[in-house]
Amino acid sequence: MSRSQTTLKTTRRDFIPVAGASLLAGVAGFEGAKPPVISRPESAAVTIIKARTYSEDLVKRMLEGIRECGLDVRGQKVLLKPNLVEFDPATCINTNVAMVAAALEVFQTLGASEVVIGEGPGHRRDTYALAEMARYRGEIADFDGRFVDLNRDDVSPVQGFADRGEIYLPNSALRADLIISLAKMKTHHWAGATLSMKNFFGLVPGSVYGWPKNELHHVGIDKSIVELSRIFRRSFAIVDGIVGMEGNGPIQGTPKQVGVMVMGSDLVAVDATCCRIMGLNPAGLEYLRMASESLGVIDEKRIQQRGESIISVRTNFDLIKSFQQHRLS
Amino acid sequence: MQNADGGWGYFPGKQSWLEPTAYAALALHGEPAVDRAWKLIESWQLKDGGWRPAADVQIANWTTALCVTIATLRGEFGGPFQKGVEWLLGSWGVESRLVNRMAVKMGRLEADRDLRLKGWPWKPNTSSWVEPTAHTIVALKQASSNGASKLSSKYRDEIRERVRMGEAQLMDVRCRDGGWNYGSRAVLGGDLPSYPETTALALLGLQGHADLSRSLERASQMARDQRSQMIIDQQDQQGAKKVNAPSPLARAWLRLALRLHGVNVDLPLGTPLRDVVVTAVDAIGAGANYQLFGTREVSREKPGAIS
Repeated sequence: MSRSQTTLKTTRRDFIPVAGASLLAGVAGFEGAKPPVISRPESAAVTIIKARTYSEDLVKRMLEGIRECGLDVRGQKVLLKPNLVEFDPATCINTNVAMVAAALEVFQTLGASEVVIGEGPGHRRDTYALAEMARYRGEIADFDGRFVDLNRDDVSPVQGFADRGEIYLPNSALRADLIISLAKMKTHHWAGATLSMKNFFGLVPGSVYGWPKNELHHVGIDKSIVELSRIFRRSFAIVDGIVGMEGNGPIQGTPKQVGVMVMGSDLVAVDATCCRIMGLNPAGLEYLRMASESLGVIDEKRIQQRGESIISVRTNFDLIKSFQQHRLS
Repeated sequence: MQNADGGWGYFPGKQSWLEPTAYAALALHGEPAVDRAWKLIESWQLKDGGWRPAADVQIANWTTALCVTIATLRGEFGGPFQKGVEWLLGSWGVESRLVNRMAVKMGRLEADRDLRLKGWPWKPNTSSWVEPTAHTIVALKQASSNGASKLSSKYRDEIRERVRMGEAQLMDVRCRDGGWNYGSRAVLGGDLPSYPETTALALLGLQGHADLSRSLERASQMARDQRSQMIIDQQDQQGAKKVNAPSPLARAWLRLALRLHGVNVDLPLGTPLRDVVVTAVDAIGAGANYQLFGTREVSREKPGAIS
């Protein structure tokens, strides 16, 4: 939405040059830690679970999906990262509160030593008011005691973020053993789709980078998505596709009933699967193409599909003109 | 709530950040606690004159404007003030670069704003946005009036021009509804709505500007909405449906901004979260020293104007 105040007819990089650091050169470590060696996985598993409405037993469904994925969180500090962006009662911008409440119960049930919820919205300063409007504060038990405003958390530098050398990130995210990207299934007018990886923009602190976090737009939206996913490798995705958003997302689009949750440890594969459900060719999205070079799998043949099949839940999302060429046949 | 280092965190018990420290220092202007805060603030100025937002962050950002405002109010016109003003004058949104303006002329770039106008970014080498632009206009206006004799004439002329351009940019990015959001009035041809907190901040920067009647009406409406939302909240406890939520931060900025424009509003104070920024802005806006953010004489209030 707020990439900048300009729209390029060619490419943004023609006008806002970035240093020529290789995308793959920087592998982040936490404040001087030795950078982890990342090798692209050969395959991945993604689970699709049907859930027609938010009033269904989402805890049961989510547990079913997580067990399919073989995720073990016993003794781990878990950060739930919903997509809480803005509020408009006429549409469905944010991860539904029922999904967040269910995830909280699920990860407690699975034996996590700590489960906190954290988000740093990109436009609005008053995160708690936003959480109130999205009904998080009213419907999640002890929300204020569990929630961290990642825009105003204490921060630490992390080395190796694109051409910028380092990025400051919130300690609550850096110290988590596992981050659950509780994303919303939405189209995005610059990236094509915003799913589990783009959701990590909310981990970047406004206290350092502002509202919006315009630094990420100048680094490049696609590159920033990939770099943040590289830093936060200890993650698991649960995408709220019960009701998604189509058209001019991520804010001004319209609700789209899909009736699924999509889960997995390979966020690239999860996002690629979500794209296929939405009728989008994942290879047409620049961030997924870049991520597939080192972080995860987008090739359908190398993604083991568990739960429901893609074809049984696929429903084409309306796409804005610039992404219509990437419609799956 | 003041930390041992003289600063304040965003919330009690958290590490000091410049933003809550600056607002707390303004709210407590004249109190001894502010002397300790100022010492900490001074120590966070970087060599280039900009201020870093926290001890552990090594990049300067928009909070430099708040530091210049505090320095001016304290009459601290020494090196930190001079370098801070210089840093602000050397900072502008990168969208105004010549290459972008040329690209617009050549039809290779579409811009939703006038790129000849320079505003201020959240941090260097990014685009300009409403909130940092508003705070910097306030800082430079105050510096050029209260600290005028301490600034070289070259700076005074440059400040005048940058303030003029900053105000023009704020007007240029104003939403169709008369208010402001973070700084984009439309995307892909669709209008975007304004927010109460950024509308109030833009009005802070535009004090004394003509042609604000529509914006003041929008801000007054936002204040009425905030107040009615409180009532709905109270009714909610009795079983009525809650349709929206109040924002303590929005209320705090709206009260202050409208008061500076001569409109007195009746809005509830406080936040249940012990949020230091909200508490401090509430204290400034509701207290006798609300003119701390004033850049012109407010001759007469209109109490109860939105009652």
